[in-house]
Amino acid sequence: MIFSAGNTWAQDDISPSRKQAIDSLALEKVRDLSKYISIVGNKDTPWSEANRVIERTLELFADGALMGVSSLSKEEVNYYGVREYLERLMALNYDKVNISWYNIQYISDLERQPDGRYVGVITIYQRFEGTTEEGLRYVDVTKKDVTVYVERKTTQISGRIIGFWDVLLGDIRVSETKPG
Amino acid sequence: MMLIVSLGASFTSCKSSKKAAKKKAAMELAEKTAKAKTDLLAIINDDGRMTLEEKEFKLATIKRMNLEDQEVKDLIVQAEEVLARERAAVERKKEEERMQREKEARERELREGGQFRAINQSLDAVASASDVASANARIREAMAAFAGDDVPVLILISSDGDIKDYDRPTTIRKYLEFIKDQKKSPNKVLNAVLDNNGKIKELELIKK
Repeated sequence: MIFSAGNTWAQDDISPSRKQAIDSLALEKVRDLSKYISIVGNKDTPWSEANRVIERTLELFADGALMGVSSLSKEEVNYYGVREYLERLMALNYDKVNISWYNIQYISDLERQPDGRYVGVITIYQRFEGTTEEGLRYVDVTKKDVTVYVERKTTQISGRIIGFWDVLLGDIRVSETKPG
Repeated sequence: MMLIVSLGASFTSCKSSKKAAKKKAAMELAEKTAKAKTDLLAIINDDGRMTLEEKEFKLATIKRMNLEDQEVKDLIVQAEEVLARERAAVERKKEEERMQREKEARERELREGGQFRAINQSLDAVASASDVASANARIREAMAAFAGDDVPVLILISSDGDIKDYDRPTTIRKYLEFIKDQKKSPNKVLNAVLDNNGKIKELELIKK
């Protein structure tokens, strides 16, 4: 059972060391997502494993979060729910898919909102490489902005109240797409 | 007559040299007393220029002089009080440092394996498995140490005095799958709670 702390989290001032740990935690979640996406996209991943990883990936996101998808051939960016995005990624018509994320960093620091949550934006670069059976390669590099929500919550474990930071990823918006 | 004059002169000379010696002794005592007062005041008002040992040595030297001057005696009492407080503070600091060293040693032991070496090794084995099948086999082996799939796993991300911050709690099954997927084992065991069968029923991890 998890309770939102709300007003019980009265301290506005978080020490620099705690703030740093929270910042790092949110960055780690984005790195975890990067790994999950590469597993789901990888054609060598067994179907059951990919489905299991999709479930784990969904746990990283806030309800209703959207994922932006772009390509070099189209101007517009399409937005999908995270599950749909991952299922489409799994079904991509390539023989080989390699996805990697790099330069993962904050572009907007976590800031406390009136509702007590902290919100920040982390930018990443994604290199997508798909190779068809015929050997044709498609490569692009996309810059994406990930909104992160961090909230202090409490839960009860073995009768003890445990305070934890719940990091949830929000929409992932495409800000730039270039040939790789 | 000559003898009487000579004896008289000798007596006068002896008397005056005794007087001179007495005067000299009095001067020396006054100097010693003045020096003792200066040293005692220096001990009492020291702002850190002297070590505690230096001050204790100086005080002991002054006490050995057994000076009868009342002001010196009062200053000795004051200096003793000051040095007793300083000595107590030094001992307290030493004790705090000793406790801190012991705490760090305990934490290091936990971080570097220690009593949880076997669990840490089983976590690392999952992360370093070469493929999905062997990672799953390592997970099955690791699970043998736990009371069930849903054993709670807490990951401590920061500790600031009494305030402990954790990542969102997970379960051992999910955590083992996480390290399998991420191919990294970033945390080590900080604490494990066992049930009556010797199986882990709660696991607390900390960043390596």
